[in-house]
Amino acid sequence: MKTIRVIIVLILLSPALVWAQANKYTAAMQKSLETLKSAKTADEMLAVANQFERIANAERTEWLPLYYASYANLLGGIITTDNMKKDPLFDKAMKGVKDAAAISADNSEIYTLLGYITFMKMTVDPQSRAMQMIGPANEALAKAKALDPLNPRPDLVSGQNTFYTPEAFGGGKERAKPLLETAMAKYEKFQAGDPVSPDWGKERCRALLEMCK
Amino acid sequence: MKFLSVLIILMASFGADAQTIVSGTVKTSKGKAVRGANISISNSYDGGSSDSLGFFRFPTNEQGKVVLQFSSVGFNTDSLIVELVDGALSLNLVLREEISELNAVVITAGTFEAGDAKKGLVLNSLDVATTAGAEADVFAALQTLPGTQTAFSENGLFVRGGSAAETKTYFDGLLVKNPFNTQLPDLASRGRFSPFLFKGTTFSSGGYSAQYGQALSSALILESKDLPEKTTTGISLMTVGGGLDHAQRFKNSSLSLGGSYINLKPAFSLFKQRTNWDKEPEQYGGIIQYKLKTSETGIIKIYSEYGRSTVSLFTENLDSLNKQDYFSNRNKNFYVNSTYQDFVGNKWKVQSGISYSNTSDDGLFDTDEYERADRLLQGRVTVTNFTGSLSSVKFGAEAAAFTREESLNSLKRHYTDESVAAFAEGDVYFTTRLVARFGLRLERSSYLGMFNLAPRTSLAYKTGRYSQISLAYGRFFQNPEDGYLIQSKDLGFEQAEHYILNYQFIGEGQVFRVEGFYKDYRNLVKAAGSTFNNSGDGYAGGFDLFWRDKKTFKGLDYWISYSYLDTKRNFRDYPALSVPPFAAKHTLNIVYKQYVAKIRSQVGATYTYSTGRTYFNPGSSEFLGDRTKSFQNFSINLSYLTNVFRQFTVVYLSVNNVPGFKNVYGYHFSDNGSIRRPIGSTARRNFFVGMFVTIGDDKFVR
Repeated sequence: MKTIRVIIVLILLSPALVWAQANKYTAAMQKSLETLKSAKTADEMLAVANQFERIANAERTEWLPLYYASYANLLGGIITTDNMKKDPLFDKAMKGVKDAAAISADNSEIYTLLGYITFMKMTVDPQSRAMQMIGPANEALAKAKALDPLNPRPDLVSGQNTFYTPEAFGGGKERAKPLLETAMAKYEKFQAGDPVSPDWGKERCRALLEMCK
Repeated sequence: MKFLSVLIILMASFGADAQTIVSGTVKTSKGKAVRGANISISNSYDGGSSDSLGFFRFPTNEQGKVVLQFSSVGFNTDSLIVELVDGALSLNLVLREEISELNAVVITAGTFEAGDAKKGLVLNSLDVATTAGAEADVFAALQTLPGTQTAFSENGLFVRGGSAAETKTYFDGLLVKNPFNTQLPDLASRGRFSPFLFKGTTFSSGGYSAQYGQALSSALILESKDLPEKTTTGISLMTVGGGLDHAQRFKNSSLSLGGSYINLKPAFSLFKQRTNWDKEPEQYGGIIQYKLKTSETGIIKIYSEYGRSTVSLFTENLDSLNKQDYFSNRNKNFYVNSTYQDFVGNKWKVQSGISYSNTSDDGLFDTDEYERADRLLQGRVTVTNFTGSLSSVKFGAEAAAFTREESLNSLKRHYTDESVAAFAEGDVYFTTRLVARFGLRLERSSYLGMFNLAPRTSLAYKTGRYSQISLAYGRFFQNPEDGYLIQSKDLGFEQAEHYILNYQFIGEGQVFRVEGFYKDYRNLVKAAGSTFNNSGDGYAGGFDLFWRDKKTFKGLDYWISYSYLDTKRNFRDYPALSVPPFAAKHTLNIVYKQYVAKIRSQVGATYTYSTGRTYFNPGSSEFLGDRTKSFQNFSINLSYLTNVFRQFTVVYLSVNNVPGFKNVYGYHFSDNGSIRRPIGSTARRNFFVGMFVTIGDDKFVR
């Protein structure tokens, strides 16, 4: 009799346990996302990346922690002014995004980030890397667009890359503007799936468009 | 009761009663603080990051024995088991530096690595294309690096006192027998290969790997590009001709076709020519390339080219001045190279290749008809095992069959050599700071009926974050030049020993290198009339300096290279140990490049200075005792980036020898020594204008 009662309780509790675990994940992710939003320095970015990495290590089937860890490392690399330190951070970001892709294949957000990282890695030494890396960066972004035509982020990153490419090499404000406008139009309609899904870039897009004027 | 206890246990797993504060420091094995390290408890979200002093502190609700993991960028991830109880836990953690290609020492003695994507690169294909005075010729651009001599009137790269025959070119590991267009009297020709075929160029001025044989002085190792990124068509229009190429990209393969036509007559007619051309150089050719990606890491590459060129000219006959000598040449060149490489498992890499070349020349020396043909077939297999994280062992074997045929009027001669070689080489990393390379190469030539065994070794030690010193020793062999071999079978291998000491600093955007060397030559071919033996010898010693800086001035890139060379040799028909004409004591190159956004152009300039060279004067008491005056050149170029019909376009302009320095490369004398004529360039100045359009790519030049 007692055994049956125990079993009944366990059965009753098990969804709660799962729910609690899921809740714990979402809570930890949300907390880390808050920290990411307020992070300013490269050290702070690295600390957030570490937070996401810890979640990723505990949740092996989730791509988002890896994705955000990679994103934070990318931002850390962009903020860092020492060129010698940029590469290791971009390499770490690259590894993170590839690990994320192993969990979630054909993911538009992941390909966007891959294109972003590749482009930023190129900018460390454009003279010697441009010919090797511009192509793969554009390829990843094209794939991201194809996988989810409603995702504004691939357009933002393309626009941003074009914005910072010298005019003579096919970049510049004029060429960036239509791309950023497309991105902005998509941002207006975009709804993130849930509170922890990628939802960054709108402000950045607005700021870049402002600079295009 | 039991029901309650189960419930309590279950509740406890949600709860947050017991808490431990984990704190401490993360340092390197040398005691330096590691900032930004990630310290975490496995399978939980708990953890923290270290600050700039290596301190960390975080609370956790986990209890009992747990695995504490710690890691940081550039370090090996480590872990330890700790017991968590209520209260505080203090830890002193040590991280060990990760051995990666980025921070590990590399073997650099004698070598200029120029992989496009690698760090510390020295020259890439774009550098070659934008070096003023080089006009996108790989060999001309390499002449701005230390250790090389400026070649004026003879084909080839002259490295550290070595003759042109002592430098060999390798295309994806396979020896290229004729990397240059045909040598004309007193005129150096361009290399056959476009710099844009290659993703990596390694130029070694000595002490190179046991993978490469048949070169006494220097190895130029060219590594071809992988699949092109997309389908494009290129059009080039130049003052000297034009070209059309198309690269079609398929999912996992690509096919490229190209054709070109070059005629120097229009360009030559603009500037007064010292050379008396009968028919200015004219050349046409085609290229077919096929590349297939067989797996993530595997690739098959096939490259083939065919080209024909014709030229004829008159030269002054110093022995009877009312008569002119006539020279004409027609060259046909076919080259095909096919390689395959892939990883077998994680630890083994296999590279194999086969190539065939057939180069033939014919024409007239006055009224004498000459013909010459070189045919080379070779195969090569290399297997590399990556044993440790960086250490590797390489084994390989080569086989080649070479034939030269010559004829003068109805006289004919030829020789055939079948050679085999095997090599083994190991890169051993003792630590991230210390690496040694041990190599051994065994060769056999059927024609010479001889073996040789060449040991090669290098050592490199990293002295600081950006600096390292390297040492290298090696023994090098090569067959005597074809011109001797076809006349005599009773010859042996020529030999050189290299000793190299190198210091290198590679900071961000800056490279500084100083390298001292000594070369000991033995068994060089001596000629006395029509008898030949291996009794020649010689030496070369000196040092090189190189400084490249892309950092100090924004958008400006410059390099300075200086070579000091002290060399003498007794070979060919020399009566005694003498300074050869291809060795200047001092050589200086200053190369400048800048992208000027305002005019959307890359501008460049190259200044070269070298002290005079020896020349043979029949009236002089000392053999090669006379020297020319010093040589100077100043060249400029400009690449204007634009769009033509929305397609990416480069307009290129270059002027060679802007100030019009009157350079003398040497002298020709009449047999009796009474008349001498200086050898110089075909015109005092040269200029070149070209337009290169890339269709299908509005973003970047290929």
